[in-house]
Amino acid sequence: MSTVEYLLHGLGTAMQWHNLVFVFFGVLIGTVVGVLPGIGPMSGVALLIPITATMTAGLSPEQAATSSIILLAGVYYGAMYGGSTTSILLNTPGESSSVVTTLDGYQMAKQGRAGAALAISAIGSFVAGIVSLIGLIFLARPLSEIAIKFGPAEYFSLMVLGLLAISGLAGKSMVKALMMTAFGLLLATIGIDNVSGVERFTFGIPELYQGLEFLTVAVGTFAVGEVFKTILEREGNDGKLAKINRIMPTKQDLKDSAAPIARGSILGFLIGLLPGAGAILASFFAYIVEKKISKNPEKFGKGAIEGVASPESANNAASGGAMIPLLSLGIPSSGTTAILMGAFIMYNVQPGPLLFQDHPQLAWGVIASMFVGNLMLLILNMPLVKVFAKVIDTPTKYLIPLIIVFSVFGVYAVQYSTFDLLLIMGCGLVGYFLSKNDYPLAPMVLGLILGPMMENNMRRALTISNGDFMIFLQKPVSLIFLIIGLIWITVPLILKLRGKNVIINEEG
Amino acid sequence: MNRNFDRYAGIVFFAIGTAFVIGSRSISTSAYGSNVGANVFPLVLGILLALLSIRLVYETFRREKTEKQKENLDYKRFGIIFAAAVLYAYFLEDLGFVISTFLFLMIGFQTMQRGRIWVSLIISAAFSFGVYYLYVNVLDGSLPGFPAWLF
Repeated sequence: MSTVEYLLHGLGTAMQWHNLVFVFFGVLIGTVVGVLPGIGPMSGVALLIPITATMTAGLSPEQAATSSIILLAGVYYGAMYGGSTTSILLNTPGESSSVVTTLDGYQMAKQGRAGAALAISAIGSFVAGIVSLIGLIFLARPLSEIAIKFGPAEYFSLMVLGLLAISGLAGKSMVKALMMTAFGLLLATIGIDNVSGVERFTFGIPELYQGLEFLTVAVGTFAVGEVFKTILEREGNDGKLAKINRIMPTKQDLKDSAAPIARGSILGFLIGLLPGAGAILASFFAYIVEKKISKNPEKFGKGAIEGVASPESANNAASGGAMIPLLSLGIPSSGTTAILMGAFIMYNVQPGPLLFQDHPQLAWGVIASMFVGNLMLLILNMPLVKVFAKVIDTPTKYLIPLIIVFSVFGVYAVQYSTFDLLLIMGCGLVGYFLSKNDYPLAPMVLGLILGPMMENNMRRALTISNGDFMIFLQKPVSLIFLIIGLIWITVPLILKLRGKNVIINEEG
Repeated sequence: MNRNFDRYAGIVFFAIGTAFVIGSRSISTSAYGSNVGANVFPLVLGILLALLSIRLVYETFRREKTEKQKENLDYKRFGIIFAAAVLYAYFLEDLGFVISTFLFLMIGFQTMQRGRIWVSLIISAAFSFGVYYLYVNVLDGSLPGFPAWLF
């Protein structure tokens, strides 16, 4: 079957009424998650996994997986839409990839052009969503056809590359990022080894035989950790919301932002493809590029519509681009896609080159649903933006305890164990202190997820080579991956030594 | 940035890395059909983590002392909510979802902001009952119900 046929099939899946409901709720919740400052796409997706698991209980396993992933992916890109709303109206980004939007967005709001800024960012996000989808459609399958030829050695090196890339760009200190990666990988070894069946580091505690459940750790470190931070640091919304007057942008606005949206979309998509570089980097780059090529760069920071259009398109395009390595290689390139991958694994679906062969309905259904979801988001965000702006007013005092309840409920619904509940609280505490002191958490969760796969591939490769570690260097493709990985972490180091500012990716 | 935190964290992570190295020595070193055992991966990573931790501790000594910013953290509120959350997690199975959630939410709301007790009561009750009803009766999920000694 050709790609177009597959896509039409996927559209058929996405248009089933229950999947339409799932997309709708996904993007709706995503927008709300994006708008609420205390909760980012990572904790949003992590919190929703158990709930979708129950909601889809009546469906067949593959349908259940399709519907859940459709919803969770909707939360992911929906949050990119919602994040801009608070940036523009309140000068506080709803999630970290909208930080740049505050620069010009809030200025526009002050000048009474909040409506135009919101509309342009919604339109930009929509265009970017479509651009990245087209890229996804044409790149995912060829890429997975290459990846299917990889042996265990190549796969191991590819994962090393992915982890190094994430560590190289995450956080202020590379040592800390690498430490967190190693720590995550070590945590993944707890439990029964699935090659030889021996127990490792379980200390006879029965709860540990299964290993640490990634969902528990993710919910604990991200959602609960974030809640603890909000309580301790007394964060709240004291700022005054800017007024939204007219929503439709003027013709001049549209003309000014058409080119930035196009550039932002393509740039964002390409950056999203790279491992480790996520939506935040994409939006930063897009802003810088726009400022560089603008005829009057002094406009930026004073309410230039280009400064809203380009980064907002870029962060959305990046979230679409980030789906490609996840779907076709089975290697997540950011924290949120790592959590999405955890959801795949929970449904016993292995993302990666075989996904398009074994579960075409799922793969293409999700891709097609992203088109539907983006359309819904455009409709939701243009006329209803005033309603979403109201969400910002949700009092923190009610939100905080409710997020804890949701975390407990969500984890219990999947794990049925008090041990896991206590683990969330512990992870929340550790997560808060670590992230406060610039220890990035995304590499840890990524390590936890990739750990078992990485170890299996390493041991398979070593079994082939009779225990000779040189196999990773002798296979050309594997060697290339390792070299790229090495360059990836040495280049930022050299730049730092020369005193240059390196943009880093902090996902929250 | 907190130098002391980094130093202690470095020491803790060093200990964790070493513990994994020591622990992996007691794991069998070979698996059937392969001379690569279950010990290699944790052994290498444990060494890596320990080395990186040493590097971090070393960095904390080199770094110049930055003046300490006095942070005003709300330990009291955090302490109450954290303790309540741990108790909530611990007693969820004994007390059942509805009762424990209701109690936790009441404590949480009132700790975040005193007063308006009726609003807190209504939200807590509606939420704990609502979620339980939706999840158990509509979605056919399973949650700890009411404790047996109540009836």
